[in-house]
Amino acid sequence: MDRYIEQAVAEIPQLIGIFLTAMPDSLLFSSWVREGTEWSAEEVAAYFGDLVRANRQGLKALGSWSSEMQVTIESAESLVVLRELSSDFVCGCVFERSAPLGMVRLHLKRLLERVTQALPKVQPEDRPRGARIMEFLDRYAPDPHAVTLRVSLRAGISIDDLKSPGALSVDQVRRLEETACKILGVNQLSL
Amino acid sequence: MAIEDLRGLFAEQSLTFLAEIPYVYHCHHYNLFHDQTIDDALGEAEGTRVRTAASHNAFRELLGAVFDKVGATTPAERISLASEVFAWMGQGKLSLSATTAGGSARSASLHYGFTWREKYGSRVKRIEPADAVAAGFAAAATELAFDLPSDAMSAVEHRCVAARDAECEFTLTPGTGHAAKPAIDEAIVRRYVVPPARGLDEDRIVQISTGLLEFMRGVQGDERGLVAAFSVFVAAHLPGYYNETVYETMHRVERTMADSVPAIEALMREAGQVCVFSTFGNVLLSPEWEGMVGPPTGVPTDVMAFCTAIARGLGFGHWFIAEYEPRRRLVIRCTSTYEVAFYRSRYGLAKKPRSYFVQGAALAMMTLAESVKWTERPQLTNNFYVELFRGKPRYRVEQTRCMMRGDAISEYVVDAL
Repeated sequence: MDRYIEQAVAEIPQLIGIFLTAMPDSLLFSSWVREGTEWSAEEVAAYFGDLVRANRQGLKALGSWSSEMQVTIESAESLVVLRELSSDFVCGCVFERSAPLGMVRLHLKRLLERVTQALPKVQPEDRPRGARIMEFLDRYAPDPHAVTLRVSLRAGISIDDLKSPGALSVDQVRRLEETACKILGVNQLSL
Repeated sequence: MAIEDLRGLFAEQSLTFLAEIPYVYHCHHYNLFHDQTIDDALGEAEGTRVRTAASHNAFRELLGAVFDKVGATTPAERISLASEVFAWMGQGKLSLSATTAGGSARSASLHYGFTWREKYGSRVKRIEPADAVAAGFAAAATELAFDLPSDAMSAVEHRCVAARDAECEFTLTPGTGHAAKPAIDEAIVRRYVVPPARGLDEDRIVQISTGLLEFMRGVQGDERGLVAAFSVFVAAHLPGYYNETVYETMHRVERTMADSVPAIEALMREAGQVCVFSTFGNVLLSPEWEGMVGPPTGVPTDVMAFCTAIARGLGFGHWFIAEYEPRRRLVIRCTSTYEVAFYRSRYGLAKKPRSYFVQGAALAMMTLAESVKWTERPQLTNNFYVELFRGKPRYRVEQTRCMMRGDAISEYVVDAL
């Protein structure tokens, strides 16, 4: 996949990075960043995936969601466009801030066509909720270095059990989820 | 009498006092982590209650002693002096308006709420207020202002900057009251130290820690009542607060949630690590340090000596390096810490080593000496912390002797795994 991305981005000088995120777990599938850019591709891909999911839920709550939706973020440094390519993949492209929006749209259309064609057909694995909650906490909890200990203490789940979150019992997963919500200050987890 | 003039120093044990009540310096990273651990163990409601009670008790001891020393007798004089002391400590600027029937307090800049918002506000939404320390202080100050018994006043924070309110607000209401426990003051602290011993690099450590103690004498809250120094927010704080919260929580977990003891002990140690990384590390990289000691060399034996000097300079007690073999072994010993007198006076002898803070600190000192490129002046960010301490551990720490258990000295051994 990386090869296809590299070919696709070669003609877009204002592109700084492209990240393909596998859903629903917001895991990095493939990426390219311009030389000299020090980003953590795994981190960026995960945040982009979660952002698209949150956007989808927000639009659904407004009754205005469509599969063609696109998120555009204009920050001081860059122009970010996020697009759901399919239910399994999200593509995030980061352009220089100076890139004209019209050109970005044009490039993006071609780029996404090529990337979409190269995507594999996947059968998402239904991963255990416990594992997904721990990954979510790893990404978003303050003090991620201490999150396993904090969860253990708050939820009353042993540190050993938390080493295999996929094997937690139904009751442990329930307590884990409540604890995760508490730690993150949210009412529910967007998994 | 100026507040600075109330300071005292038990120099050979590196213990500091204000009106003969012990105080130390900690940064906001440590303070927030400490409070978070208490709440993780007890839940928000009970955690807040325990933290507020500990602060209440600790500030009763301090303010009672301050009022006696200064000769403050009227309620107005005492309320005013108490607020001044609180701001001087870097705990924040609190407006307190109270009578024997209760009252209120407010602030836009309290050490806990303000720094929680600074550190975590963009990542986590907080509902519960963060300023149990200020609540306990407000209750204690009001009681003492009107010569009321302990717990005659209770304070609850109902708006908090950490929960995105514009100001922190507290309500004070009368309670039942009871006799206060005797204060842990300098005289009691002196009973629980042993004669200081010399360790490796002792002369250099004494020289630097003396300079740092002198430097800290000039540190006091700014117009917000906060101390921004060494790239962190520092606060003069009461060991009584840390000790009561830690040990009340530990004892309760041991009694009621025995399976959770490993997790809470690890988190208490982690708080020590957070302290050394954030406070010691930022002190080492600060212009103030460079002015006193020189630019960072990155030599592990230097870093170890400097960290030991910083511990003494912040009033943590007489720590010394008994052994140090870079990348292999470190043995730190203490003839005094800010925990021993409290534990022995309140609970008697501990059944096992209890100095979690120094355990974590020793582990972090080893890591900082070996793994940080000091000459490159790294930013001590949260990501860097995670990089250093997460993943496969490189060292393990064991407290082999503990003065709280009745041993003649406290000893912490860090070995490479």
